[in-house]
Amino acid sequence: MTSAQALAAGLIAAPALTAGVVGLAPPRLARRTALIGSAPTGAIAAAFVAFALHDLDHPRVGTWLVADPAGGLLVAVISVVGLVSVLVSPAYLDSSQGSVVRVERRERTYFAALYAFWTVLLAVPLAGNVGAAWLLIEATTAASALLVGFSGKGRALEAAWKYLVLTSLGLGVALLGIVLLSAGVPRSGVGALSWQALATFSSGHDMALVAYLLLLVGLAAKIGWAPVHNWLPDAHSEAPAPVSALLSAALLPAVLLVAWRSQLALAPVVGLRTTQTVLIGFGLASLVVAVPFFWRPMAWKRLLAYSSLEHMGVLALGIGFATPLAIAGIVVHLAAHAVAKALGFYAATPLLAHDPRAAGHAVTGIGRTEPRLGAAVGLSLGTLAGLPPFPLFVSEVLVLAGGFQAGRPWAAAIATLLLALGFLGLAHTLIELTVGKRRGGRAVEIAGLRGVTFLTAASAVALLALAAIGPWLSRTDFVDALLRGLP
Amino acid sequence: MSGMLAWVLVALGLLVVTGRRRSVAVGVVTVQALILVGAALNSAATEADVVAAVALAVRGVGLAAVVLWLVARTRENRLVRAGIAPLVRAGLAVGLALLLTWLVPHIGLDSRTDERAVLALVAFGLVAVATRRATLFQILGIVLVENGLALAALSLPRASSLAIELGVAFDLALVVLVAAVFHDRIFAEFGSGDSASLRSLRD
Repeated sequence: MTSAQALAAGLIAAPALTAGVVGLAPPRLARRTALIGSAPTGAIAAAFVAFALHDLDHPRVGTWLVADPAGGLLVAVISVVGLVSVLVSPAYLDSSQGSVVRVERRERTYFAALYAFWTVLLAVPLAGNVGAAWLLIEATTAASALLVGFSGKGRALEAAWKYLVLTSLGLGVALLGIVLLSAGVPRSGVGALSWQALATFSSGHDMALVAYLLLLVGLAAKIGWAPVHNWLPDAHSEAPAPVSALLSAALLPAVLLVAWRSQLALAPVVGLRTTQTVLIGFGLASLVVAVPFFWRPMAWKRLLAYSSLEHMGVLALGIGFATPLAIAGIVVHLAAHAVAKALGFYAATPLLAHDPRAAGHAVTGIGRTEPRLGAAVGLSLGTLAGLPPFPLFVSEVLVLAGGFQAGRPWAAAIATLLLALGFLGLAHTLIELTVGKRRGGRAVEIAGLRGVTFLTAASAVALLALAAIGPWLSRTDFVDALLRGLP
Repeated sequence: MSGMLAWVLVALGLLVVTGRRRSVAVGVVTVQALILVGAALNSAATEADVVAAVALAVRGVGLAAVVLWLVARTRENRLVRAGIAPLVRAGLAVGLALLLTWLVPHIGLDSRTDERAVLALVAFGLVAVATRRATLFQILGIVLVENGLALAALSLPRASSLAIELGVAFDLALVVLVAAVFHDRIFAEFGSGDSASLRSLRD
């Protein structure tokens, strides 16, 4: 067994074992077991990331396993968000009631499903072929749908149902695309689906284009790209807050990586410009759909959900532009979005304890009633809005500059306009949310507020560091390696 | 697969789109799965092919058992009517199938008949999910799409990966099981497995 295989096996086995142990543990030990189990997963993930980023010029590529810089970046994001989601979950469980299972099984089921979801998520960036990637993405649906509907409330059941049905159908369409690809590659078995083999597709350009479109439309349903995004706002707003963070900051980018790998693999057959244009189309459509919602008063988690739609659109644009500037923008965007969005969702638990109306309505003046909470939501929303000097401002500038650099001035100009409109809408919400007129809010002991305060400080440091490195990133070997893709 | 069997699968698929009774629709998708199993065993050249066929059989029969148990557990007081008449649903399904056949060029499967049958089953599954209000019929729509994809896998000119085929069967079973849990909870919460009651989340 090679080092890459051993690390990958450990990376998947650690959370999977924890899921099993938590599922079988006595109810009173479930929480403690889950919290302890996050440490080995985090440690192995750190080792894998170091390994994947160590030798940028020689990624380990096999039929089943890939350990490359893009995978390393995604594993870093997924492991950090997963780890913090596990750690903040007790605050969610303590502050909420009811679940889709019996009360004595509540914590056990929650943590077992959370770990199962985390396990599959960590495996997605490692998939060495499009078939395995599909299987893992489909598996995330089963694990995460249980978590989306976990509260058992009518709205959560509705959100989980929509998520399950729409993403399963979408992935069915993607699987049809994979079958078409498999029929056109002159190899048999799993080797026909490896990322490198897709470039040998020999059933003609039209067939390759159809297969690519089916695959991408199917994946778009899971990424939440418009116009196949309908499940996204509901699932993100109704899921438990730590799960929402994983859905938005880890699941969507992980599936996006599979779309990116597919685009790079099929570009020689379909045509580089065509594959990129499709992605740019999804990116612009997502911005067009998301931006009007930023001009409406909206419940906090629902606002964050529409923000995910916008940011997945920006990432699609970056992949589509595919210049060093745009790719540097993607790296910063992916990491900063994960930090800011996860912080926003983690802050939702104390926010709901502070002002229960926040579950269904826009709330205002949080900075006046609870300054620490105001700082958390302010930092999160300020970053997500693209406020300078935060890193999403830097990354959006890089992606847009990459668009002009790529000879796509119209797409870049339209995206600039849409992002500016989105910024104005969110900036207004930011002011209202933090220092607006005070309405409601209870002076009570808020569960999880201390943890969120610590996360706010840590996130501020991480975000400023990302903003600082962003402008220099485009000239690094790391971005070169991402541009090259898999050998 | 013979052309006749492929068209039998398509005809059965149309029954899921138009039929009224949930138990009949469950039987229909199960018969489809068993026809696919028979075809897979008939053309099996290696041990891996036989294993894949057995997995398909276990999946088909297992899902039928789960969904029929669910039907018995969640008896509706009155029929959950689809918002669209059966003939219109059939028209939409056939129309989408024809559109897909027209749009998608030669796929590269063993025969053009198999290709048309695959596209028709995928189209019928999509229409079933989009037009049926009963949550159980929406689950069956997903199964219908997957049956179409199983037919495609059977008609590939070269051997596909056993691991991937087993994985697809396992994943589908998992998704249907989770959907079954939610159907049960939706029935308990709203008193009916009618997706029309799931309309509180709107912007």
